Amino acid sequence: MTDMHIDHKVLSDLQEVMEDGYLQLLETFLEDSERRLSQLHGARNADELGMAAHSFKGSSSNMGAVGLAQLCHQLEERVKERPLYGIEDLINRIDQEYLEVQRFYRGERARVSTG
Amino acid sequence: MAVETDFSQDGKKLTIKIKGRFDFGKHQEFRDAYESQPRRPDSVVVDLKDTTYLDSSALGMLLLLRDHAGGDDSDVRVVHASSDVRKILAISNFEKLFDIS
Amino acid sequence: MPAEQPLTVLVAEDGATDRLLLAQIVRRQGHQVFTAENGEQAVAMFVEKRPQLVLLDALMPVMDGFEAARRIKALAGEALVPIIFLTSLNEEEALVRCLEAGGDDFMAKPYSAVILAAKIRAMDRLRRLQATVLEQRDLITRHHHHLLNEQRVAKAVFDKVAHSGCITAPNIRYLQSPYALFNGDLLLAAFTPSGDMHVLLGDFTGHGLPAAVGAMPLAEVFYGMTAKGYGLAHMLREMNAKLKRILPVDMFCCALLLNLSVQRGTVEVWNGGMPDGYRLSADGKVVASLASRHLPLGVLAAERFDDSTEVLPLAAGERLLLLSDGVVDTADEQERLFGVERLRAVLAANRDPVQLFDEVMQALERFGGTPRDDISLCDIRMFTVEERVPAPTLYSDSGRSSPLDWSLGFALRGESLKRFNPVPYLVQLLQEIHGLRPLTGALHSVLSELYSNALEHGVLGLDSRLKRDAHGFADYYQERARRLDALVDGFVRIDLKVEPLASGGRLIIEVRDSGAGFDVQQVLSRPAREQGLSGRGMKLVGQLGSSAGWREGGRCAWVQFDW
Repeated sequence: MTDMHIDHKVLSDLQEVMEDGYLQLLETFLEDSERRLSQLHGARNADELGMAAHSFKGSSSNMGAVGLAQLCHQLEERVKERPLYGIEDLINRIDQEYLEVQRFYRGERARVSTG
Repeated sequence: MAVETDFSQDGKKLTIKIKGRFDFGKHQEFRDAYESQPRRPDSVVVDLKDTTYLDSSALGMLLLLRDHAGGDDSDVRVVHASSDVRKILAISNFEKLFDIS
Repeated sequence: MPAEQPLTVLVAEDGATDRLLLAQIVRRQGHQVFTAENGEQAVAMFVEKRPQLVLLDALMPVMDGFEAARRIKALAGEALVPIIFLTSLNEEEALVRCLEAGGDDFMAKPYSAVILAAKIRAMDRLRRLQATVLEQRDLITRHHHHLLNEQRVAKAVFDKVAHSGCITAPNIRYLQSPYALFNGDLLLAAFTPSGDMHVLLGDFTGHGLPAAVGAMPLAEVFYGMTAKGYGLAHMLREMNAKLKRILPVDMFCCALLLNLSVQRGTVEVWNGGMPDGYRLSADGKVVASLASRHLPLGVLAAERFDDSTEVLPLAAGERLLLLSDGVVDTADEQERLFGVERLRAVLAANRDPVQLFDEVMQALERFGGTPRDDISLCDIRMFTVEERVPAPTLYSDSGRSSPLDWSLGFALRGESLKRFNPVPYLVQLLQEIHGLRPLTGALHSVLSELYSNALEHGVLGLDSRLKRDAHGFADYYQERARRLDALVDGFVRIDLKVEPLASGGRLIIEVRDSGAGFDVQQVLSRPAREQGLSGRGMKLVGQLGSSAGWREGGRCAWVQFDW
């Protein structure tokens, strides 16, 4: 089942692969992705922005956060064209999407810790 | 196949044909041609029509064949040799051991 | 799902999440995993752990994947350490960069465990293939060194066997590759006790050690029998029998044997399987060729072996040119052969004998063929009497007990005359006498001369005036062979008598034959040159012994040696 934000098939495969390490993966992702987001915001030029977007895209897709990965991909492509009009708009949408993703994975973490 | 074998109707004559260069590379194939036969033939014909070249290891192989076919009592013929090949056989005087034509 | 063969894998990925995930995927497949966070760490980890496979993120801080890949490949050297790039780069240019930096494959994100497992298996196959190739290359190199060493030892042993030769005599010029022995090419030369020269040019089938191994017994027979004064026919029978016995069926030795006798002005030839040798006049013209008339040595059993030789005249200054088949068989890129015609053209054009070898080598070079390392050339000039060097005699005792008062009669009759030559045995016997040892050469010459006269002129009734010219020569020896073959009765008897003298001793040799004899007075009154032609050269024999003469109407020749 796929909703707009998360590919649940990827998620269940992750759980199977990670076995007992699934919890650690979730925690690593939550920590790691926050850092990536601030990296995105802290980019000083177009190249840095592009690289940050590229990296974030990679880890998001691995975790099944398809919406987020898609937006990062758009940002990565957009940054190649000058001038950079409307880039803030795209970054905002990434922020929004990330909130959803973060909420979901926190829930996952909670579920796994107890169950 | 660089070495071809053929039996006569009555199974008494074995013909071995060598194509290309008759040199050390043909060693195993040549031996298999006469050793792996179920019956020892009465006579053997070595057909060199398509043989382009013969070296001393080929001469050695002919000696092995002759030995296998009965030594002094053997009937081994070498046929269709080109003039170059015949020259090589002539220098070693192999016509004293084989019927060469 | 465990891997077929667990590997050590390095995962270099800067994203913590991705690194964790990937390491787990790989670990689950049964491999041991080490991780690194950036390019620099990846290289350091590679040096420390020497993993067999590397998964490398393309974009990393500190040192990116491309640079890390280049360094890792350099560190890996000859061994194949597969590198799989991890990348979401999908532009063609970026992917090409991965491969050019040394990457062997790439994996896209999101990671698929199934695809990764398949790629790892494929890369491992390549890795093991490369390892096998290197292992075999090292094995081959080791074997090669062993072989070279074995050859070195074989050559050293062979040189000891062959040291007694006279290949460096002033009348012989030769050209031979230093690896000739291992190409099967053999060149031997030695003087007999009476100063005749034996030469053997041989070519064993095969190369390498088999050829060298066959050469040693052959060389021993050649040198041993030559030193004892045996004739070519006997030596050939021995050499053929020996090789037939010890070599496998498919190995044999093509050989050209010569016996040069300055005393008789002849060369005796036997050629079994070697290319034509050439007889050249003093000014370098080809006068005759020495063609192969026999099967090579080691092919025929003793009963069927043909030891018959050809005898040709060879005056002082005339030359023989011998070559191995490497010359004529040199081929160019179109596989055309240098051939006999080109060689004969070089011989015809040659003006200065000293230049002949160089001219042949230059002609081969101009022909454009690939230079072969099995080319042997030998130029032999008929030497003069002064140039003779009788072989040093071989003693096997201390010489303290010499018999000084004895006599011996040895008669060869009928059929035995056809094949047996008693001279070497008698000379060996005489060597028992210490005082006679310095005269061994002379004894051999005298006994050979008298025996051959007794047989040819006495028993067979041949007239040596036939040997006046080249044509007559061939006729003479043909006739000799015919009459010998037809011989039924007849004898040659050799009597030796040794008696002590005050300070030494005296040897009397008498050689009798069953022939008709001749008018001694008449022959002795002829001028010396004519005497020589009649073949009863007693003057020559007399020069060698203390005194000499005829008895019994020319049927008995005697020589006396005092010491």
